[in-house]
Amino acid sequence: MKAAAAARSPWRDPVIWLAVPAIVYLLVLYALPLLWLLTKSFIGPGGFTLRPYIDFFADPFNWRVVWNTLGIALWVTLACLIVGYPAAFALARAGAALQIAMLIAIILPLSIGVVVKAFAWQIVLRRDGVVSQLLVAVGIWDEPQRLLFTEPGLVLGAANIFLPFMILPIYSVVKLIDPRLLEAGATLGAAPLYRFVKIMVPLTLPGVVSGVAFVFSMSVSMYVVPSLLIGDRFQTLSTLTGRSFLFMRNEQLGSTTAVILLAMAVGVVVGSTWLARRLGGST
Amino acid sequence: MNFLDVSGATKSFGAATVLDGVDLGVGQGEFVSLLGPSGCGKTTLLRIVAGLLGVDRGTVKLDGQDITALPPHKRDVGVVFQNYALFPHLTVAENVAFGLKARRRGSTETASAVKRFLELVHLSDFADRSVRALSGGQQQRVAVARALAVRPKLLLLDEPFSALDRKLREGMQIDLRRLLRELGTTSVFVTHDQDEALTMSDRIAVMNKGGIEQLDTPEAIYRKPATAFALEFVGLSSRLSGKVVGTQDGLVTVETSFGRLVAPGNFVSGAPVMLAVRPERITVDRPGDFAVTAKLRDAVFQGAKVQLHFETTGGDQLMAETADLPHGLPAPGSEMKLGWAVADTLIYPVP
Ligand SMILES: Nc1ncnc2c1ncn2[C@@H]1O[C@H](COP(=O)(O)OP(=O)(O)OP(=O)(O)O)[C@@H](O)[C@H]1O
Ligand SMILES: [Mg+2]
Repeated sequence: MKAAAAARSPWRDPVIWLAVPAIVYLLVLYALPLLWLLTKSFIGPGGFTLRPYIDFFADPFNWRVVWNTLGIALWVTLACLIVGYPAAFALARAGAALQIAMLIAIILPLSIGVVVKAFAWQIVLRRDGVVSQLLVAVGIWDEPQRLLFTEPGLVLGAANIFLPFMILPIYSVVKLIDPRLLEAGATLGAAPLYRFVKIMVPLTLPGVVSGVAFVFSMSVSMYVVPSLLIGDRFQTLSTLTGRSFLFMRNEQLGSTTAVILLAMAVGVVVGSTWLARRLGGST
Repeated sequence: MNFLDVSGATKSFGAATVLDGVDLGVGQGEFVSLLGPSGCGKTTLLRIVAGLLGVDRGTVKLDGQDITALPPHKRDVGVVFQNYALFPHLTVAENVAFGLKARRRGSTETASAVKRFLELVHLSDFADRSVRALSGGQQQRVAVARALAVRPKLLLLDEPFSALDRKLREGMQIDLRRLLRELGTTSVFVTHDQDEALTMSDRIAVMNKGGIEQLDTPEAIYRKPATAFALEFVGLSSRLSGKVVGTQDGLVTVETSFGRLVAPGNFVSGAPVMLAVRPERITVDRPGDFAVTAKLRDAVFQGAKVQLHFETTGGDQLMAETADLPHGLPAPGSEMKLGWAVADTLIYPVP
C-alpha cells in the first residue's frame, strides 16, 4: 500500500524531469525579476515596510484605479464569454470545411500585433467609424458619436482582441463531448433547455473556467490597448505601473501596483481552477 | 392492435436509401429483436422510433398515438445506447435519477425509484461512485437502470452487450430478460448476434438492406426461414443447388449433385432452386426419407456435439451435426450415409 503510494508520487515519475528546461527558463527570466519587484515594494529606507501599500490604499484615486481595472476586466471577460460560448459550439459542431475556415478566422488575427489591432480599433471607434455609423443606421443612436476614449469602446476593442482565448479552450472541451449524451437526455424526457443546463453546462465548465481565467488575467493586465483606446484619462493598474516607472520614476509605486495586479491575476487563476474542480468534479 | 406500430418507414441519406418502407408491429410487453448484418439499418430504425431521427415517409404509432412528429423528450421511449452514453459528470445514482428529475417527479419518489432500480441491476453499493470508475458491465447496467427508472412505455436497446465478453454477456442477457419481463416493459432490441436474438426474443425481425425479411418467433425463423437470406443469417445449414425436374401434390423433385431430392413446395419444372437442411436434422448412418452418400472432409469436435463437413462441388455445402457417433470420430475421407426427412427440407428460388 505504502509502496504503491510512493510509486505514484509525482517525484518518482521520471517524466517530471522533462519540465526542467521550462522551469529553468521561467526561473531566470520570470521568477527572479518578479522576486526583485516584490522585494522592491516591501523594502523602504529602514528595511521591511508595508508603507507603500498603506499609502497606496489610503489614496481614493488609487481605489478608482483598482476598480477601473477590475471593472474593465470583468466586462471584457463577460463580453468574450457571451460571444465566445456559442461560437465555440458552432465551431465544434461545424462540418470539416467550415470548421477550418472558422479556425483560421479565429487564429489568424493572433498573428497581428496588439498595437496594430488597437490602432485599427481607433479608426473603427471614431465618430465617423463603422460602429457609430451602424448604430445610427439601425436607429439605436440618433446621431454619430465617438466611442473612442470611452469605456464601452475599450471593452469592445479588448473583447475582440482576447476573444480567441475564450473560444479555443471552450471549443476543445465541447469537441470532446459525446453528442449522444444530449440524445440520452432527450430520451429520458429532458426538454432542450434542461439538457443544456444539466448536461452541456457542467461538461463545458472546465473550458469556460480556463477561458475566463485566460481572458480575465490578460485583460486585467493589458497595457497597450487601454493606452490607445482610452488614454490617460482612465488609469488602470498596468497603465499606472507603466507611468510610475517610465514618467514618474517612482519605482516603489510601480512595484507596488505591479504586485497588486499580480495578486489579482493569480487570485483569479487559482480561484477559477478551484472552482472548476469543485463544480466540474473532473480534470 | 399493436402497441408499437411502424408503418412504411422510409429514410434516405443523400442518394442512399437506408430504410425502405419498413413495417414493424410490436405487442404490449413483447420483446422483439432486430437482427441483421452491419449497415442494414437497425440503428436507423431504432433512432426513428426514439425520435432522434425523422422519417422521410411513414408513421410511428405508440400506444394508439401517432408520435411521428413528436420530439424525443415527449415520446416516453427509453434508449440504452450502444456506448451507454452515461453522464460522466454525475454519479451512478444521479445518472439513474436524471430522467426522474427532468420529469419533475417528487424527491421522495425519485429517491425510492433510484434505490429500487439500482437494486434491480445489483448496483446499490455503487450508488455514489462516479460512472467513470465502473467496468463495462456495470456501466451497461447503469444505462439500463437509467432508462427504466422513468418507466418508459417502450425501451429500445442498441447492441447493449456488444462491448462485453462472452461469459458476462450471457449472464446479462438472462438478467435483462428477467428484469424486463418482471416490469412488463415492451422492448425492441438491436443485435447482430443471432444466438443473442434466439435466446432472448419473443419474436425476431430479420433485417436486410433496409427492409425486414421475416418477423416471427425464434423457432419459426430457425425452422422455416422465409427467405434465403434469413436462412443464411440465422443458424447453419446445408445448401444444395439444383433444378426442378418434377412437381406433384405440393412436392417438388430436384436434381442435385447428390441425386434427386424431394422438398415441399410449388415450383415450375426447370426452375433453378436451392435446397437447404439444418445440420441437426440430418441423421448419420440412418436413412430418413432419402439417403445420400457423401465423403467426409472434416469433423469438428465441439464438446456436446460433432460437426461433420462433407465434400461437395460448386457452391454447395453439406454438413451434419450429431451427438452420438458410436464408432468415435470418423476419419476424413470416409464415406458416410446421410439421411433426412422431406418435411425438413427447405427450398428457395435462386435469383
Ligand atoms: N447520419 C448518417 N449519414 C449518412 N449515412 C448514414 C447516417 N447514419 C447511417 N448511415 C448509413 O445508413 C446505413 C445504415 O446504418 P445503421 O447505423 O442503421 O446500420 P446498423 O444496422 O445499425 O449497423 P451496425 O450493426 O453496424 O450498427 C449505413 O450504410 C450507414 O452508413
Ligand atoms: Mg447500429
